[in-house]
Amino acid sequence: MKDIVSVDHLRVEFATDSGPVVGVEDVSFTIAPGETVCVVGESGSGKSVTSLSLMRLVEFGGGTIAAGQLRFRRSDGTELDVAAASPSVMGSVRGNEIGMIFQEPMTALNPVFTIERQLTDGLMLHKGLSQSQASARALELLKSVRIPEPERRLKQYPHELSGGMRQRVVIAMAMACEPKLLIADEPTTALDVTIQAEILALINRLKRENGMAVLFITHDMAVVAQMADRVVVMYRGKIVETGTVDQIFTAPKEDYTKALLAAVPKLGEMKGKPAPERMRLIGDEAARAARVTPVARKKEVLLDVRHLTTRFPVKGGILRRTKAQVHAVEDVSFTLNVGETLALVGESGCGKSSCGRSILRLVKPTSGEVWIGGRDIGALNHHDLRRARADMQMVFQDPFASLNPYRRLKDQVAEPIVNFGLASGAELKARVEQLFDRVNIPRGFMKRFPHELSGGQRQRVAIARALAVNPKLIVADEAVSALDVSVQAQVLNLMMELQEDLGLSYLFISHDMAVVERIAHQVGVMYLGRIVEIGPRAAIFESPAHSYTKQLLSAVPIADPTKRRFADDLSFKPIKSPIFPLGHEPAPSVYTEVAPGHFVLQD
Amino acid sequence: MTYVLNRLLSVILTLFLITLVTFAVTNILPGDVAMMIMGTQSNPEALEGLRQSLGLNDPLLVQYGNWIGGLLTGDWGTSLIFKKPIAELLAQKAVASAIIVVMSMTIALCLAVPLGVWAAVHRDRWQDTVSSSTSLLGVSLPDFFWGIVMILVFARWLGWFPSSGIVEPSEDFLASLYYAFLPSLALGLGLMAHLTRMTRSTMTGILGQEFIRVARAKGLTERTVIWRYALANAIGPVITIAGLQIGYLFGSIIVMESLFGYTGMGWLTYQALLNRDLPLIQATVFVIAAVVMITNLLVDLLYVLIDPRVKLG
Repeated sequence: MKDIVSVDHLRVEFATDSGPVVGVEDVSFTIAPGETVCVVGESGSGKSVTSLSLMRLVEFGGGTIAAGQLRFRRSDGTELDVAAASPSVMGSVRGNEIGMIFQEPMTALNPVFTIERQLTDGLMLHKGLSQSQASARALELLKSVRIPEPERRLKQYPHELSGGMRQRVVIAMAMACEPKLLIADEPTTALDVTIQAEILALINRLKRENGMAVLFITHDMAVVAQMADRVVVMYRGKIVETGTVDQIFTAPKEDYTKALLAAVPKLGEMKGKPAPERMRLIGDEAARAARVTPVARKKEVLLDVRHLTTRFPVKGGILRRTKAQVHAVEDVSFTLNVGETLALVGESGCGKSSCGRSILRLVKPTSGEVWIGGRDIGALNHHDLRRARADMQMVFQDPFASLNPYRRLKDQVAEPIVNFGLASGAELKARVEQLFDRVNIPRGFMKRFPHELSGGQRQRVAIARALAVNPKLIVADEAVSALDVSVQAQVLNLMMELQEDLGLSYLFISHDMAVVERIAHQVGVMYLGRIVEIGPRAAIFESPAHSYTKQLLSAVPIADPTKRRFADDLSFKPIKSPIFPLGHEPAPSVYTEVAPGHFVLQD
Repeated sequence: MTYVLNRLLSVILTLFLITLVTFAVTNILPGDVAMMIMGTQSNPEALEGLRQSLGLNDPLLVQYGNWIGGLLTGDWGTSLIFKKPIAELLAQKAVASAIIVVMSMTIALCLAVPLGVWAAVHRDRWQDTVSSSTSLLGVSLPDFFWGIVMILVFARWLGWFPSSGIVEPSEDFLASLYYAFLPSLALGLGLMAHLTRMTRSTMTGILGQEFIRVARAKGLTERTVIWRYALANAIGPVITIAGLQIGYLFGSIIVMESLFGYTGMGWLTYQALLNRDLPLIQATVFVIAAVVMITNLLVDLLYVLIDPRVKLG
């Protein structure tokens, strides 16, 4: 056998109270030495179960390999039957011949051990190195993953490192014993886009230098296009299609693959298009998606934000006095027209969410004005603010957390209507039914509880609840980020349809540049609390002027294997701290208008 | 360092408040110390003379000042029932009780941590059921029940340990441990219950975390993963609970020492309360409060050593 891994008709079952549940079934694929195989699929497709089975880690999650063969060719050339290997043999394979990287760098490291201890214990176990030899090798590893100040990092604890650095440590740990196979399970999903680009480039370089094979698990087709040699598409525990990355992207055979690819927005595909477009969908949704009616509206300002500043206190000392301030939002100004979408984009910690919350006065801004429909929200008293909230609603990222698990859906959608005393009795019932129709949730679901719905359905209910009081403005804070790509496309199309029909304005807060390019009219790029660049969508994406915007756009993976961008090492400027001492007054934001309506912050 | 000073300052402040409260409460209590000393049938003039000499006719503020002054200089007054200086009495009894506190907590931790880990590792299996029913039994039965069981089993039937009595540690240290063992075991079984449940729940949470999976993916043995990687994270909360239980332990000690005729602090407190020995009550309350607070301070400082994320300041 030439392949390093061959999986043949794998079947994994999980024991539950109601009998065994199949995790994956009839899964077969191979990995050749030095090859990157991407397993791609939506949540519940069984892609992680497959990778965990290869390490025999699946049994710690209650799973058993019920049928099929898993073969791994060891360093000495012998073939190992993974499913039948003893725990001690598996112990000598794990971390030694197969390395693994996980999704969450924040929790992947043991918080009470130093980086050094976590890097060296595997080396001492597998390679029989002494403490000092292992430490020397650990330092070498940290250098090879390009961590700044590697000597100091060894003595540090995980919480002292940023997310990107932690993921580099996790990779260093996986690489410690020079494995022949690296399994990367969604290694960049929890990371910001620039850090994702750095990590992907790092994995590519290490793979090239060490000639190892990579099994890359992801839900993100754009990452697949950037990384894969071959692709395995999974759906509901089974393999849908296998092929080279070019075959899969240019000539997919199966309908599921086609639908999955269609739903993925490709950065740059909106070049030269004047207005946002619906997401592409295949199947019964296609007809709805095709109906695009660009509405020619008179430009009318709905939301006018002027010099908005929000700072959060950092408390300390025995008396819990304010010692410093987080400058979350710093002198932000923009306008949003009726019936349009303004996207605020930026990486985590840039202040985009705080900005949305400050506008709704969910957090109190430090200074600045927010005008909605000619009313200054900041000047309203408690009673008037409550009334004004009917005009501005919010949809949150996590539909699992934003719906009350103990209340029926119809009551949750009815709640804002009852709160504002807008309807009661039969009228209320009729309105709630209309709202369910509006977001395409069957009326039969009205009596259900949130846990009985899928993520996409829940987010639709959350949108229905926001719509209940006929708002003019909806702040959507990463509203589709937690959803699978096909569901995300459906929810985005629903939002665009509602915008056309009801003239809603969206403040769309997102980190996903490809989605934003498709749906936004205006885009504001945020960095360290400020808008560094704002303007029409085409201007931002086609002629970005600020260095940060350029950096951000260059880091976005493109769902097209012919446009690979992460071959060599990348290193972006790390984001500075937004914490300043008390009394620090930053300079106001001053902009240059480089083109009509396209403003760039002067540095 | 500033953190330790700050914490010490707050301990001192709390102790000051405690002296105020104990002083106020004991002075509101009905009963007159002089009458308690001389008896109800005593001559009123002699009684007045005693009051004068004890300073009982001074304004309350002066009396409080005298008491605090005494506390600070080591003159804690004289016990009314034992007719001995309180400081001397307490010093002797405190050592005897410290043995019981340390021993019972050690027994509790040595049993609870392995049992809790065992239950967490075998979560939702029979081992878990055994562990949780054992600890439920421990919580639901009062301490003195275990005391009686210990006396019956180990003293009456097996005859391995004495059923009552005390040996002062200054006389024979090993023998003093021998006499302290049964009451400590009875107390330890009561303490163990909470600690087992705490260990189980923190371990369960930690075993579900990603870094445990990472540790397994590194090829580490299950023993290393559970007893090093996981337990190092779980031990902090368990020790915090153990520290808090020191407070409850003093309540149980009063009963247990009396049951075993072990004349330590608990027994002393009981005698003081029974006989309205006001100076002794004040002193014991003060000492118990001080010990509980200092233990918790030590536990918090220990936490810093265990968990690098906790910063002082």
